[in-house]
Amino acid sequence: MTKIIVPIGPQHPLLKEPVSFQLTVEGEHVTESAMRLGYVHRGIERLCQERTYVQNIHLLERICGICSHVHTTTFCQGVEALLGVKLPSRALYLRALLCELERIHSHLLWLGVLALNIGFDTIFMYAWHDREVVLDIMEDLSGGRVSHAVNIVGGVRFDLTDDRRVTLLRQLNGLEEQVRILLGVVEHEQTLQARTRNVGRLSLEQIRRYCVVGPVARASGLDVDLRRDMPRPPYDGLTFQVPVRQEGDVWARTLVRMLETVESVHLCRQMLDLLPPGPVSTRVSRRVPAGEVVSRTEAPRGEVVYYIRSDGSDKPARVKVRTPTLTNLITLPSQLENVNMADVSVVLSGVDLCIACADR
Amino acid sequence: MLFKLLIFPGFLFLLLCAFVFDWVDRRMLARFQGRVGPPWYQPVADFIKLPTKEDTLPQGVNATVAAALPMLALAAVLTASVYVPVAGVVSASFEGDLIVVLFLLSLPALTYFLAGWISVGVYSILGGHRSLLQYFSYEVPFLMAVAGPAVLSGSWSIASIVAYQAQTTWGAVMQPLGFVLAVVGLIGKLKRDPLDIPKAKSEVVSGSLTEFSGRKLALWRLSMNMQTVVGIFLLVNLFFGESRFFDVLPAFPVFGLKALSILLLLATASAIYARLRIDQLADLGWRILAPLALLQILANVGIGG
Amino acid sequence: MGFSLRSIVYLLPQVWRVLRAGPLTVQFPFAPPELQEGYRGQVVVDAARCRGCSLCVRDCPAFALELEREGREEYRLIYHPDRCAYCGQCELSCQFGAIRLSNTFTRATADRDTLTRVLVDRRPSPPPLDE
Repeated sequence: MTKIIVPIGPQHPLLKEPVSFQLTVEGEHVTESAMRLGYVHRGIERLCQERTYVQNIHLLERICGICSHVHTTTFCQGVEALLGVKLPSRALYLRALLCELERIHSHLLWLGVLALNIGFDTIFMYAWHDREVVLDIMEDLSGGRVSHAVNIVGGVRFDLTDDRRVTLLRQLNGLEEQVRILLGVVEHEQTLQARTRNVGRLSLEQIRRYCVVGPVARASGLDVDLRRDMPRPPYDGLTFQVPVRQEGDVWARTLVRMLETVESVHLCRQMLDLLPPGPVSTRVSRRVPAGEVVSRTEAPRGEVVYYIRSDGSDKPARVKVRTPTLTNLITLPSQLENVNMADVSVVLSGVDLCIACADR
Repeated sequence: MLFKLLIFPGFLFLLLCAFVFDWVDRRMLARFQGRVGPPWYQPVADFIKLPTKEDTLPQGVNATVAAALPMLALAAVLTASVYVPVAGVVSASFEGDLIVVLFLLSLPALTYFLAGWISVGVYSILGGHRSLLQYFSYEVPFLMAVAGPAVLSGSWSIASIVAYQAQTTWGAVMQPLGFVLAVVGLIGKLKRDPLDIPKAKSEVVSGSLTEFSGRKLALWRLSMNMQTVVGIFLLVNLFFGESRFFDVLPAFPVFGLKALSILLLLATASAIYARLRIDQLADLGWRILAPLALLQILANVGIGG
Repeated sequence: MGFSLRSIVYLLPQVWRVLRAGPLTVQFPFAPPELQEGYRGQVVVDAARCRGCSLCVRDCPAFALELEREGREEYRLIYHPDRCAYCGQCELSCQFGAIRLSNTFTRATADRDTLTRVLVDRRPSPPPLDE
């Protein structure tokens, strides 16, 4: 059979992210794949060295259009460690609250993308409608749907009244109902399972070798979650499950993400119940003492690592960002070996790529 | 005769139906998904918009063939429509017209495959291959399911199948399995969700039609929409023919209601299922649908025998 | 793999539920957008409160604010909405509560000149036009 080379990306209906794949296809069978990255490299790490810490928060927020809050949280966490400042616990709770809301938003968005790629437009619409609920909550809390701009070094910029807390709890209850419906669809719907089961399978050994993080790792049986393994307040005072599956295919990733969404709703509710009173921020100096720090957070896609080095001025000497997509991306060539052409869309969506994160 | 051919139930009526059905279909699907859906003039606007656009073809494609293919598809569908009665009115009819209609309705699948075959784009080639694979999967169960009513009534003429149902009852009531199979086959034939494998957007962009634009694309889409209408009308005739229950009502609205009900079925199917993979469709077609269709025919032979 | 009738038509009840609830579309350009109270939109300035300290200019991550100083009390605060990231850092940096983000929302403009706005003009008297 003749070989043809099918280009996917940087512009393709399958991936709305600028990454390019060259698939060598025999009939319907993909034999080889080559990946090309770097279409959205914006040099953010270098730009960070040109700007003050205050400005960098807003710059780093724009690394990712989905998990923006996690990036600023990780950055602020690191800078606060360098400053040696202790945050008021209300600030930590509010920060984590937004992190969890963002996880719900990210996972629902991802489910929509997967559904769209397997031609399941209805689930796409439903998932994105439920995501709209989260976006509205976040917009109400922070003033922005995606770029929240709530983190500052030393705390957060928004506060929650008691009335708002009650209405928020009610909204979350409605949201959980919706998410459970989607969870049921993932668990029971036949065509969705037919498309995602046994596709893009990664063994535990491969996961370890590629250092895969996040839901992709948890779907292959690797039980990691920074929120539990390296608990910092407020997570140390909350109870939650870390869903882990053994199958390692795209279906397991879908299920893990949906279960995590439900857990995140629980976490939000707990945080709202336990929300301590007090101020939401402390004043800190603009200059950061010299030193270096590694800051880690569990983002929706896995572990985000920030390395920050300060030389004592008001601008960082070096900021290095390791996003979860970067590690998960490396598994793609092995996942794309010997698959059906139709499964390429499922495999690519299963990893939950954020090329903007990976390229920075 | 000319009135029948050109106005009702001929081409003009069919054109109107194509737009109306397209709109109703999109509107229903939108409501299922919690959306509003397009306004009533959207299909017409789409159809007018396309011919005003630049008509391009990639280098290395035979322009004559590329222009002829959508016309051929449209011509086949229109010719098929001549033999399909609408509310009992039919332009032409003879013993064995069902076979002709089925043959003519499978021609668009061939032109679709050829559109991919002559193209130089990779997505078109893949889409063309897929459409042929899909054709082999759905066509046999579809033909067998549609042959069911013919076996039952002992005639290959659509008019006599309708007449037979007037004496007994709806075909769908006597052979529900055959009806379901025919609907599944029709979905495959029309390349609708969830069997839109040859034009799966996230896999092969737009399949065979990726490189088409302007007037040619407009003709392709029109032929697809008309195929939907003719296919639905055919199923209405075969499975929901005239029955004694509805004699009190005028024939035309009842016919329209039946056709829209089948459209509702199609829209529901596209709302509640994910797209299948081509090998899964082949599995479904040969392992499940074809044996079931055979069973239905055997049962029909037993009943009608 | 379990194969039950319910799993074949699993989505049907959900579709029915959505159908009964009605469409959720917001007809945006034809209907006003639903903006929350704290939405960060247009930058507005209470010119009376501005002291020209330029803290907002220093902290603006997008370099959307510009201060043209002609003397100790004579200055112009210029705002470039095309660069603005609507992050609200200026609101946070301002010590006098002069600058803030309102929740009004404007659509795109086709005229580039309208994109530069003078927020505060504290020049003693506008200089005579050159021409």
